[in-house]
Amino acid sequence: MRSTAYTAVILFLISIFSSSIRAQGLIDGFMRGQRKASLALIGSQATYDMYYINTTETRNPNLGTVTTQAVTLVGSYGLGYDLDLIVAAPYVRTEASAGYTPKQEGFQDLSAALRWEAYDYKIGKTRLSWLFAVGYSMPLQNYVNDALVAIGRGSQNLDGRTMLHYKAGSFFITGQYGYIRRGQVSLDHVVNTYDPSQLNPNSGTKVNVPDVTELIIRTGIKTKPFYLDAWFQQQTPHSEGTNIGPGVPFPTNAVGFARIGATAYLRLVGKLGLTAGYSATLSGRNIGKFTRIDGGLVVGL
Amino acid sequence: MKTLFSAIILSSLFLSVVACKEPTIDEGILPLVSAATVDADGGAWRTIVLKSATDINVPQPAATTSDTYQRELTGIKNGLLSINPEQNTAVTYWADGGVRRWNQIARQLVAKYNLLPNYLTPTSGTLSSTDPANPMASPTFAARVYALLSVAQYDALVVAWRAKYQYNRPSLETQGVISRVPVLNVPSYPSEDAAIAEASYQLLAYVFPNETAWLKTKAAEHKQSRLWAGACVPSDVKAGEDLAATVAATVIDRAKNDRFSAAHDPNNTWQTGLAKSTYDVRWTSLENPVLAPMLPLGGRVRTWYDSTAVLQAKPSLPPATTSAEFQKALGEVRDMANTRTREQWRIASYWDDGIATYGLSGHWNFLAEGLIRDARQNELRSARTYALLNRAMQDGATASWSAIYTYFVPRPSQMDASIKTATTIPNYPTYVSDHATIASAASTVLAYIFPDQATQLNAQGIEAGISRLYSGVNYRFDIEAGANWGNRIGQLAVDGAKTDGAK
Repeated sequence: MRSTAYTAVILFLISIFSSSIRAQGLIDGFMRGQRKASLALIGSQATYDMYYINTTETRNPNLGTVTTQAVTLVGSYGLGYDLDLIVAAPYVRTEASAGYTPKQEGFQDLSAALRWEAYDYKIGKTRLSWLFAVGYSMPLQNYVNDALVAIGRGSQNLDGRTMLHYKAGSFFITGQYGYIRRGQVSLDHVVNTYDPSQLNPNSGTKVNVPDVTELIIRTGIKTKPFYLDAWFQQQTPHSEGTNIGPGVPFPTNAVGFARIGATAYLRLVGKLGLTAGYSATLSGRNIGKFTRIDGGLVVGL
Repeated sequence: MKTLFSAIILSSLFLSVVACKEPTIDEGILPLVSAATVDADGGAWRTIVLKSATDINVPQPAATTSDTYQRELTGIKNGLLSINPEQNTAVTYWADGGVRRWNQIARQLVAKYNLLPNYLTPTSGTLSSTDPANPMASPTFAARVYALLSVAQYDALVVAWRAKYQYNRPSLETQGVISRVPVLNVPSYPSEDAAIAEASYQLLAYVFPNETAWLKTKAAEHKQSRLWAGACVPSDVKAGEDLAATVAATVIDRAKNDRFSAAHDPNNTWQTGLAKSTYDVRWTSLENPVLAPMLPLGGRVRTWYDSTAVLQAKPSLPPATTSAEFQKALGEVRDMANTRTREQWRIASYWDDGIATYGLSGHWNFLAEGLIRDARQNELRSARTYALLNRAMQDGATASWSAIYTYFVPRPSQMDASIKTATTIPNYPTYVSDHATIASAASTVLAYIFPDQATQLNAQGIEAGISRLYSGVNYRFDIEAGANWGNRIGQLAVDGAKTDGAK
């Protein structure tokens, strides 16, 4: 049970990270266990030299390669045998290699999620569980959100999702579907660009950040000292949004992507484990074509 | 059972989150206001492009006792009872103020066309500054659009006001018509709204030929909306339309001869100018790939105010790059870029108004709109405010452009590539700051028209200038030189405003 706790943390943290490099969904299907806690510290680096304008791949010589590094602290705690609390806070730095766009650095968004295992069926020697989760995240500081090189979009987000988790021996497969509602953000300036549907240009500084739906499928093996998985994640903009363009506020862009990745965990000694992951972008919409590596330490408490 | 219950609650919470749809951009709705004054002497105010309001002869209207007029009046009265929701929306939309609405439309179009070829998106490379149907916008271009629009509106309204009080056809309100929206209590012939609609449509269609059909629809809706509202009769509209068409033709004639059409420098003479510059280091484009500078001959555009007075105030060459003074200024930009606070970033972004926006002059029009609304200025006064503001801003843009392409002073990031900027580096030389020139010209004019807000306006003018230092795209000496020059130009506008007949 304990090793599952660690893996859950790993998966979770890779996910919450940065809204621009959100990798793997909110959580996995493994429950923590009552009064079990864990803490993980993960470092990551994501880079892109191409990005998508709407869905068209673009290279921008005035930007070069954008590198985003982050350190994320993730804690989780089993409030009950069927209820977990997960909290994460990342510190992010992002920088472009060419041009005159400044680097951005700072604490990004604080996320918290409650995961609840509603049903647990035994089918022979295998198990199928049905889980629900709600999450909330908010910026830890008023970072710059309206720039191509930014650490986040600055919105408060509400995340609701459900998942089916199937386990047969060390094999598992999880499918989850969720909706992320993103709140309005304030730009530093009045909306001053052309929007054909917006006849009155006196719209103030508040803009909406498009909501997204998210689908994640993850499969792998899990034993006590070892964990390995492969995953597919797709985020699709749900509400109407803009495309990256000169003058267009970045937070209003409709952002989506499809990514694949893999995660590994190895228990070293006692309650200490190591984790590593890799992911790549298959397709995207108004986002960088990231490839990402990460690694970190996990401690069970 | 308990878990089932919670499952239902969780699922419904989930669904309620999913079910919400949101618009991309919100807009507020402000209440309609009635104007503070009627300005019965408005027909005697000094016109700008016309020699005087008497240049245009507005024909005598049919008497209110005539059958023709009575039929029109009955038509309006009956129409009031049968307007549909779309018509009602149009009535409310235009009742907010025709001058302000057309200014908003102009800002939208400037933002739409304010694109550089090949900027960021290779797919937008089809836009060319040399294609008159796709006029590449820029600070100078934007300022000119607003100036031409408000000058045409103002001259047309002075003519309309003169005819109103010359013929004194009573307003519909005095004839027992209860209008759907507040209507200014001035003689109804000719319709000021029709004059605004026609003048605005003609001017904007001249500048944005690809938008002609859309603009025509807007103008038709504007005119019709006043009939639906019960503000005037069709013969009032016709007269307003006719006089404005003549005024617009005169203003367009001026626009055709203001040398703007050659401002993009089709023969690439700017390179000769660059070679002649006596500054010790010369500007180069920091774009990758390198782009030709924006509107190199924008400084030769005809000014609204006395060109000698405008250009006499041109500042001299800034200190050479080798001087201690320059190095100090460069160091200040570098320090700013390295230690920029979030608040400084906000100010830089607030005043940036760069590519694909309605421009800094559009930003000041936006600010003026709020002031005009709060002061409850009538259409004539609103047009005067915009015309004063926008002529000063266009002259400010022209003035700064003339210095920019005389001296070719390099941007801070050209002198030190480690200087990263909060906003995009404009693709033209740095001295003088067009931002500071335009903003101080604007704040000087607005502070005169709205003395109660003078302190705040002057602070905004200063902030708009210094925002360029916060951003890292200008030296302090660019901003100071630009601001001084802008103040001088704003003062020329104020001197004119003091004697134009408006009290």
